[in-house]
Amino acid sequence: MTVMINLIKRNLKLFFRDRTSVFFSLLAVFIIIGLYVLFLGDMMTNNFKELLGSNSRFIVDSWVMAGILSVISITSTMGAFHIMIEDATKKISKDFLSAPLKRSQLAGGYIISSFIVGVIMSIAALIISEIYILAGGGSLLGLMSLLKLLGVMLLSVFASSAMVFFIVSFFKSSSAFASASTIIGTLIGFLTGIYIPIGSLPSGVQTAIKIFPISHSAALFRQIMMEAPMSKAFANAPAQVVTGFKQMMGIVFFFGDRELSPLINMLVLIVTGVVFLALAILNISVKKKQ
Amino acid sequence: MSHIINVSSLKKNYGNVKAVKGIDFHVNEGELFAFVGPNGAGKTTTIDIICTLLKPDSGAVIVNGYTLGKQDDKIRKNIGIVFQDNLLDNLLTIKENLYTRGSFYGLSSKELSAAVEKAARAADVESFYNRPYGKISGGQRRRADIARALVNTPKILFLDEPTTGLDPQTRKSVWDTIRNLQKGTGMTVFLTTHYMEEAAKADYIAIIDNGRISAKGTPSELRAKYSTDTLRLISKDNERLTTFLNEQNIKFIISSGAFIINISNTLGALPLVNKAESLISGFEVISGSMDDAFVKITGHVMREDAG
Repeated sequence: MTVMINLIKRNLKLFFRDRTSVFFSLLAVFIIIGLYVLFLGDMMTNNFKELLGSNSRFIVDSWVMAGILSVISITSTMGAFHIMIEDATKKISKDFLSAPLKRSQLAGGYIISSFIVGVIMSIAALIISEIYILAGGGSLLGLMSLLKLLGVMLLSVFASSAMVFFIVSFFKSSSAFASASTIIGTLIGFLTGIYIPIGSLPSGVQTAIKIFPISHSAALFRQIMMEAPMSKAFANAPAQVVTGFKQMMGIVFFFGDRELSPLINMLVLIVTGVVFLALAILNISVKKKQ
Repeated sequence: MSHIINVSSLKKNYGNVKAVKGIDFHVNEGELFAFVGPNGAGKTTTIDIICTLLKPDSGAVIVNGYTLGKQDDKIRKNIGIVFQDNLLDNLLTIKENLYTRGSFYGLSSKELSAAVEKAARAADVESFYNRPYGKISGGQRRRADIARALVNTPKILFLDEPTTGLDPQTRKSVWDTIRNLQKGTGMTVFLTTHYMEEAAKADYIAIIDNGRISAKGTPSELRAKYSTDTLRLISKDNERLTTFLNEQNIKFIISSGAFIINISNTLGALPLVNKAESLISGFEVISGSMDDAFVKITGHVMREDAG
């Protein structure tokens, strides 16, 4: 256990001392915020003015920030797993394996440290988000919502780090991994449906988003962060309007006529995490035997 | 002296490339063993196998009484390795690096800090102990690598080309550190090098070329067996000296104005010099070097190019 703790400490130091890796895992966040500050934010706020009234800005801001929280769980864990690829390409792993430590301790060290990096970076993104929302005239999250949000965050980072670990287990070179993470970083915003509300996309794309597991963490984040402003805006609105809006914005997903409950969203994240973790371990142990 | 490492009929192929073609050798406890050969001869492959990092195709290796392939973790506990590449973390200080890597050996935290301190002192890294590994010089980095290898107080220290890429002065000081470690602690040192003048200072040498051991012995044994001493005569009159040597039936070549004659040992030069005294203005006796021995053994000069 002490071996793993020391490996985790080492990986965390390596990640946070490398300014560029920290910057790049936050880059997606900055790009999305920039995009909304400059273009999309005003457009969306104005579009919803009629429906949401004075709460429009607060609701749109919360919607964007919820999306950011789900994206950062992927981009930050990917940044953390870069250390594992670097160790292999620079042959640092050779030094590790010359010591009497188990491969499972080494792998565990990488997974747990990338999980921790994911959580820390998500919390940083949450702080940035709350400041952004506050600056736009919204209000901070209540304590209960905050706790719920942190719970969802843990699930989201768990599912993300397992998925990223699985992807990483296929890569051998640093440059291949760098290209893959650029592609994933670009696509991730679309795959989780955070640039454009899911309701305004073609049905094929909608299905793709719903199938992508991390979209479910975005949905959960939206449920929590948009609850307060929406209850004000929709105080007197008929249930049908509220459901329509939720469906349009990807706050809840529908499969056919069935509405997915928050419990199902959470299950999707848990199952994703467990399955991909198992697949990654399988992939690594198959490679070891060759 | 007991054999701390015993290698017999070791073979390793990479696909169709036969890197190690069945080698046998042993290393005596407490000695400085030099594994010499040009780049690509199979040195690193052999070290990687002995250090449990690579599986051999066939053959048996015993390290400190433990069988390779069956007691790998016990072997790992007893060895320290300085790899050809610098493998510590650039963003961590030497101290942090030593503590991290030292924690892999199951020491208590008290034992660990004692071990780290001892290793740091032995490898003389204290003056840059708190600086990041990425920001120190090549020679300092090599010292830090040695400290890392010593952190588990190993019985055997492996060094793969420890002095390659260092300037001559640093090379010497790194070499002195290694020698002092071996003499001071009785640790067995197994190193590879392609500098013959370094190998000449080892206790025992095995020369590997093209995946095979082509010679082994102490430096003086190898020199005696494979290199020849030469006598250089500087003549007063080339023609008369030539006639004289031909009369005596002595083979010679003329190179840069001197007559060069191979002799079996340095003393063998005396009678010849005495007889030819009136014909020469001076002479020089050169005893054979390790470089000559190497050329004789492998049939080619040591390739200096890195690869």
